[in-house]
Amino acid sequence: MVLTGLLVVIPALNEEATVAAVVRAARGSLGADVLVVDDGSSDRTAEIAQAAGAWVLSHPFNLGVGAALRSGFRYAAERGYPTVLQLDADGQHDPAFAAALFAPLEDGADLVVGSRFAAGFEVGRARRTCMRWLARIVSRRAHVAITDTTSGFRAFGKRAVERFAESYPTEYLSDTVEALLLAAAWQLDIREVPVEMRPRQGGHPSTGSVKSLYHLIRLVLVIALDRVRLPIDHRSK
Amino acid sequence: MSKLQFFLLLVAIAQLVFVFEFVRRRKLLESFALLWMTVGLGGVALVVLRPVIDDLADAVGIAYGASLVLALGIAFLLLVCMSLSLHVSKLESRVEVLAAEVAFLRGVREPVAQDD
Repeated sequence: MVLTGLLVVIPALNEEATVAAVVRAARGSLGADVLVVDDGSSDRTAEIAQAAGAWVLSHPFNLGVGAALRSGFRYAAERGYPTVLQLDADGQHDPAFAAALFAPLEDGADLVVGSRFAAGFEVGRARRTCMRWLARIVSRRAHVAITDTTSGFRAFGKRAVERFAESYPTEYLSDTVEALLLAAAWQLDIREVPVEMRPRQGGHPSTGSVKSLYHLIRLVLVIALDRVRLPIDHRSK
Repeated sequence: MSKLQFFLLLVAIAQLVFVFEFVRRRKLLESFALLWMTVGLGGVALVVLRPVIDDLADAVGIAYGASLVLALGIAFLLLVCMSLSLHVSKLESRVEVLAAEVAFLRGVREPVAQDD
């Protein structure tokens, strides 16, 4: 399926082992422009992505996945791409499923989440408990059933792209979960569709388990404060 | 003046000298220098005004003057830490905006020509 005005945004941190294959798969199956946002990689991620046919924007040092996505949205908004597809650089997401994410967009949705659980993905018990808890909270606030709040396989329509270009939560886990709360607060139309995900195709995860726990606890604070906080403002400080 | 008072006076004066030197070398912003000079002067005042402190502690129901100084000192340090955390948070979000801006100013690199 070829969608006009689609930009595939791939945030990447030290993913030289997998990024080329992801870029080629996205270009091949979607025929879209691909932007790799290199978030301060110390390896050859940027050069390899460029050689695989991607446009590359490089942060001078690591700012976090959310910041990389925000740069991606900003690029899309500035260059007039109405639709953004977010893909992980590690090869977890199969661009072949992107069509399933685009269908609700044409139906008026602003943000479509690809859920691995709806397709029967198995994770460990502790992780499953956390993810269910997050799913319950986010679903309640967004008034729509979301099972996979931490999925980074998402499609964004014009309204979401423009708003997220101005403001997007930076830190790990916030870039997925908090972004949904933000979209809900803006009353964007959020949907979820089932997708299959593969295990990471190479390289190493950039966040260890202790750090993940810290971010989960930080997320509890974010969620608790969400409704009384002033909006993020990246322009005037 | 007791030995202890003399020692405390030395510490306070040493602090003032350090702060002065940091400002002279332009390593410390004037606003922070003012804060720490006030602390140094406060130290000197404590030495000189020892009887006043005992009276003050007595007035608020603290038996030992030094305890009052300790409690106030901890409260003050907590405040300073909080304000530094606020500063750092502000700087972090500014750095983030600037770094993204740098990425855009450097520009997006085009794909290397492909045979497709």
